[in-house]
Amino acid sequence: MEEIGRKRVAMAGVVVAGLAYFLVCAVPLQKELLLVPAWSRDISPVIPSGMAGASAEGAAQSAASKPAAPKAANAVPVALPAAASQANTSLATASPLPFRLGDRFGYFTADGSILFVETVSYGVALAPDVFATYDSLSEGFAIRSPSGAEVSRVSAPGYPFFAAGRRFLIGPDQATVTELAGNGSAAWTYQFPSIVTAFDASPSLAVFGLMDGTIVGFNRSGAVALDFAPGGSRIAGVYGVAASPDGLLVAAITGADKQRLVILEKRSTAYRVAYHRYLASDYRRPVSMAFTEDGQRLAYESPAGIGIYDRATHGESVVPVPATPRMGQTARGGELMVFLSGKGDQKRLICTAAPDRRVVDLSLNAKRAFVLTKGNTLFLGLDDRIVRMDLEER
Amino acid sequence: MRRAPPARAFRASGFLLVLAIVASSGPAAAMDWPLAPPRLAATFGTFAKGRVVLGVELASEEGVVRSSEDGEVAFAVEEGEHPAGLPTPLGSFAVVEHQRGMAAVYSHLAPGTLATRVRKIKAGDPLGRPGSSGWVEGSGVLFQVFDRRAGSWVNPLLVLPPNADDKPPAIRSLALSRSGKTYVLGDVSSLPQGTYRVSVDVVDPADSPWIVAPLAPYVIRLAIDGFEATKYVFDVAKGSEGKLALFALSPVETTALKTPEGRYSLVERLFSRGRVVIEVRVEDAAGNKRSASYTLLVE
Repeated sequence: MEEIGRKRVAMAGVVVAGLAYFLVCAVPLQKELLLVPAWSRDISPVIPSGMAGASAEGAAQSAASKPAAPKAANAVPVALPAAASQANTSLATASPLPFRLGDRFGYFTADGSILFVETVSYGVALAPDVFATYDSLSEGFAIRSPSGAEVSRVSAPGYPFFAAGRRFLIGPDQATVTELAGNGSAAWTYQFPSIVTAFDASPSLAVFGLMDGTIVGFNRSGAVALDFAPGGSRIAGVYGVAASPDGLLVAAITGADKQRLVILEKRSTAYRVAYHRYLASDYRRPVSMAFTEDGQRLAYESPAGIGIYDRATHGESVVPVPATPRMGQTARGGELMVFLSGKGDQKRLICTAAPDRRVVDLSLNAKRAFVLTKGNTLFLGLDDRIVRMDLEER
Repeated sequence: MRRAPPARAFRASGFLLVLAIVASSGPAAAMDWPLAPPRLAATFGTFAKGRVVLGVELASEEGVVRSSEDGEVAFAVEEGEHPAGLPTPLGSFAVVEHQRGMAAVYSHLAPGTLATRVRKIKAGDPLGRPGSSGWVEGSGVLFQVFDRRAGSWVNPLLVLPPNADDKPPAIRSLALSRSGKTYVLGDVSSLPQGTYRVSVDVVDPADSPWIVAPLAPYVIRLAIDGFEATKYVFDVAKGSEGKLALFALSPVETTALKTPEGRYSLVERLFSRGRVVIEVRVEDAAGNKRSASYTLLVE
């Protein structure tokens, strides 16, 4: 009897201890990060730029008729709203966002209005505030606002390209670069000794990589702020450059056999090598690289995947997926890096938390695609559709 | 780590140029034509719509663009596929490392035909098909040679085999300009004394289905009263401090080389009273020559 009593007491103790554990040590389940579809718009019909905003109603109808948003492995399936009632109010709904998908380009807004969709005849330079279309033998072109109004006119041969709020023109020789002023005139012109093979810009620094292995950077007034030839490889060349948004860091993939990642940092007035490493890659084509919007991380193309360099620690990690253009986009205040990877008809949307933890891995069927991030919102371009998805914790 | 100063670099460039000339004057040229038969649509120094051609444009809609020498592909990009969104006015192009520190750029190839996966190549290996990708007036290939050691562009005709060409350049006119006025000799035979800029309209005939612009000759010489006043040899071009200059011996910035009327601006001279004889001699890369003499009465 005494033995049975002891067993009962022990069992009761275990039960009490278990209950106490669940009551005292219980931790709520971690919130899951979800991609919640907000709207989807068909961009297959051409909408001329003169009809800005006229398509919003039709687009909303189109969204309602085609509610098939891409399925995320960890997304909560929700019905698409017919209009933008769930628009993220933190986004400026009126600010136009440029897109290009194959031979289509145009602007849309965060609330789902398609401002216009046109077909690219030869080339187009796109920025949030302006765009310019041009021909193959362009000797001049108009710079227009997203509403289609002419902002300025450029009368010079070459092709325009816009970045970081700055407008540039590259001459037919691919060695002459002009920065355009607001009225379309030349703010400054520079004739490089060899052809331009790489480019990136921040508001304060425009960086060009040359065939001869030189990296040249210009400040806003066109003065040379950086002129550096890293060397150290059998074949000189610059395959990619990236400027941090504050203009204090410049990264480059230079040379062939062996190829190097070089990171220059502005100290007082001059740029010095802050980090360099020989790479396993031996690319003979332009490579994709970019700093994140907060300038804290660099994403660059590597044979093992997307290489991530951390500015604070000088540490590196790899996200093992193929790199694509427009790297360096982030979401949730820089917490997540967002990549659109893949080739052919198969794409993957990948969001990683530092250093390389994958929190979203979404398969997409699209031949042409883009991803654009704004805060907690992702805009996906998938062939003939643009889809808005909001990152939410639930 | 910075590049050599311009003057020293030009001396180095001149030295390499001599080597190149020696190489090209021997029994075998240093490089082969990348597209045969060669039909020149632009020569080194040809001015066209605000740009100067720093190579030779070979016109053809057919055939294969081949490596002009053994080498290694250092860079290749298809038109419209630059990940940074950088447009490529050279269209689909490849940079090939050749011998003696020379790199060649093969541009405007037909999209989709560029050999992007090859590395080591032999002379004659295909690089792509002639095309009109990028900023170019017709179909063919733009062939440029860059001397990496000197950091300068070299006239490809110095390293390519002689082209079958028996047509000498044409001297279309000679003019003197002052205070915004231009006087074409022949139209005028006398001028008041003063300082004038001498310019000449010279073209090399083309045997091509299309041309970028009237072709540049290889040499322009100007003599005034029997003394050589200037000599332009279209041998190299070099960029420095944001400016591009032509000619190894006495560099002239490309922006100052042509007058608004399209003549080669040669020299500025004070013409004193009396009879002045101005002689122009031009030569193309094949050695065909032409000269013209003008007599001017300075009052």
